Amino acid sequence: MTTSARLAAGTNATGPPSGTPRTTNRPAKGSWQGYVFLSPAMILFIAFIGGPFVAAIVLSLFSWDLLTPPKFVGLENFRAMFSDPLMLRVLGNTFVFALASVVTHLVGGLLLALAVNRAMNRVLNYFVRTAIFFPFLISWAAVSLLWRYVLDPTFGPFTYYLDKLGISAPGWFTDPDWALASIIGIDFWHTIGFTFIIMLAGLQTVPKQLVEAARTDGANNRQVFFNVTIPLMSPTLFFASVITFLGAFQIFDPVQIITQGGPDNSTMTVIMYLYEKGFEAFHIGYASAVALLVFIIMMLVTLLQFWGAKKWVHD
Amino acid sequence: MADLKLPAPKLDATPSGALTGRRRRKLSTGSLVLDLVMLVVGILMVAPLIWLIVQSLTAESDAFGIPPSWIPHPFTLDNFAGVSGLIPFGRMAINSLEVGVISTVGSLFVSVLAAYAFSRLRFRGRSGLFVVMLSALMVPPQLIVIPVFILMRYLGLIDNLMALWVPALINVFAIFFLRQYFNTIPKELDEAAIIDGAGHLWILFRVIVPLSGPALAALAILSFEVSWNNYFGPLIFLSSPANMTLPLGLVTLQAGQGGAAVVVFAAITLVVLPVLIVFLIFQRSIVESIATAGIRG
Repeated sequence: MTTSARLAAGTNATGPPSGTPRTTNRPAKGSWQGYVFLSPAMILFIAFIGGPFVAAIVLSLFSWDLLTPPKFVGLENFRAMFSDPLMLRVLGNTFVFALASVVTHLVGGLLLALAVNRAMNRVLNYFVRTAIFFPFLISWAAVSLLWRYVLDPTFGPFTYYLDKLGISAPGWFTDPDWALASIIGIDFWHTIGFTFIIMLAGLQTVPKQLVEAARTDGANNRQVFFNVTIPLMSPTLFFASVITFLGAFQIFDPVQIITQGGPDNSTMTVIMYLYEKGFEAFHIGYASAVALLVFIIMMLVTLLQFWGAKKWVHD
Repeated sequence: MADLKLPAPKLDATPSGALTGRRRRKLSTGSLVLDLVMLVVGILMVAPLIWLIVQSLTAESDAFGIPPSWIPHPFTLDNFAGVSGLIPFGRMAINSLEVGVISTVGSLFVSVLAAYAFSRLRFRGRSGLFVVMLSALMVPPQLIVIPVFILMRYLGLIDNLMALWVPALINVFAIFFLRQYFNTIPKELDEAAIIDGAGHLWILFRVIVPLSGPALAALAILSFEVSWNNYFGPLIFLSSPANMTLPLGLVTLQAGQGGAAVVVFAAITLVVLPVLIVFLIFQRSIVESIATAGIRG
C-alpha cells in the first residue's frame, strides 16, 4: 500500500514538496477540490487574521482617531513610542509580571504535581486535584470581582486572617508597591491549575522502571529528582515555560477590571496600555505600533526559548 | 510546540507512578505530613469560592461580617432573585450561550473541511498555505483586534453578537490539531471508500469525522470554554447591556448601579456554579483536552 501516491498525500509536515505529486501515477484527482474544502477557512483567514495583520502594520504608519481622515506619518508612532517614558514603565511591569508568573508557576506547578503524584488517599487525592485545577476554568471576570472582595481591606477574609497571624496587610490594590504583586498572586490562584495539569502529565511520562533502577543503584530522593525526574521532565518544563510566558505577557483582564493600570501606573501592562491608547483614546496608529511591538517581543522570546531549549531539553 | 504529545493525567484515578508495593506499605510520617500540607493547600484554593457562595446565601444585613462567616446565617435566596433586577442576567446568559455554541460548532465545521484538505487532498500550494496558516498562531489577538474593530464598525456590527462569533469561526489551532489527528487515521479506509465510489464529503463525514470523536470533543470543550470566558472581545465590541455576554455583564454590574455586594456575589455564583457542575460531570475529558491541546484560556 505504500505507493508513491500515498506518500504524496503527505503524512507529515516535512513531507515531500508540493511539486512531487505531479510525478505520481495517480493524476491529481481532486486538485480543485482542495481549494473548495479550504475556501471557507481561507476566506475567514484573510478577513480576520491575514488581512488585519497587514492592516495593523499599515495602520501603525498613520495617525488616526477614527473620526478625521487618517494621516500618513511614517515611523512617527514608533519614534513616539520609544521616547514615551510611560512605555518603558509599561514594558518593565509586563516583563516583571511574565517572569514572576513563569517562575511561580513552574516551581509551584512542579511541587504540587510531585506532591499529588504519589501514594495518597483516593478521596484526598481527588479533592486536592480538583481544588487546584478548578479555578482555571472560571472566567477572569468572575475571578477578578471575587478577589477584589477577598482582598478588601475592611471586610475581606484574607486581610482578617493575616491580621490574626499578626501581619498587617498593605492596601493590595491601592499601594503602588503591592498592586502588581497582588495581580501576580491572583494570577497564580487562577492559572496554576493549568501548569499543574501539564506537570502531572509530564510526570506520568517518567518511566517507573528508571526511578526503580536508580533507587536500586542506591540513589536517594534528591538524586532521583535531579538526575532522573528533572531531565526526563525537561520537554514538559520547556513547553510550560513557553506557554506560561506568552500567556502572562498578554495579561489584561484582571488589570483592566481591578486596577485599570493604576495606582500610579504600577500595574499598567502592555496590553492594558494598548487598550487605553486604542479603544479609550482612539490613537489607532499608536496602539497599532504598540501591538506590533508586542508581536515582535513575543516572537523574539519564543525564538530565544527554542534556541535555549537545545541546550537543556533532554532528547 | 503543540507537537508535544502529553498523556492526559487522570484526575479521578490514583497516581500511576507511585503505587509500587514497597511504597504503599511504608506510610511514613513524612508522607502523612505531606498529605496534611496538601489538604491545607486544597482548602486554601477553594476557600475564596466557599466564601463567595456563603455570602451569596446570606441576608444583606449579615453578609461580609467580621470575622468572616462560613455558614450562611440568616440563610436567604433573595440575593439570587435580586440579580435580574440589576442586570438582564437571563438575556446575557443566552447571549453567552449563543456566541459559544455558534462559534464552537461553526469553527469545528470550517476546521474539519480545512484539515481534510490539508491531510487528504492534493493541490498546488498546499504546504505553503499550511505554513502561512500555522504562522498565525504566533500573532497575538491584540494585534489584529484593532483592524477587526474598524472592519466591524464599517460593517455596522458593533454592539452585535456577530462581531464576536464571525471572527471566531477561523480557528487555526483547531485546523492544525485536526490535521495531525486525521493523519493518524489509516488512508486505506478512505481508499476503500473511493473504490466504492464515495466522494470526499462522504469520506470526510462518514469515515474520518466519526473516527475523530476524541479530538473533536477536546476542541469543542476548549473552544466553548474560551468563548464562554472571553472578556476582551465583548469589552471591545459590545456596549448595551442587553447585548452583553456574562463576563462583561458581571463587570458592568459591579461598576455601577449601586447594587448590593451580596447581589453581585449571587451573580458571580450563578456564573461559577454551572462551570463547576459541568466540570464535575465531564472532568475527565476536560482535563484530557486541556493537557493534550495545552492552550491557555
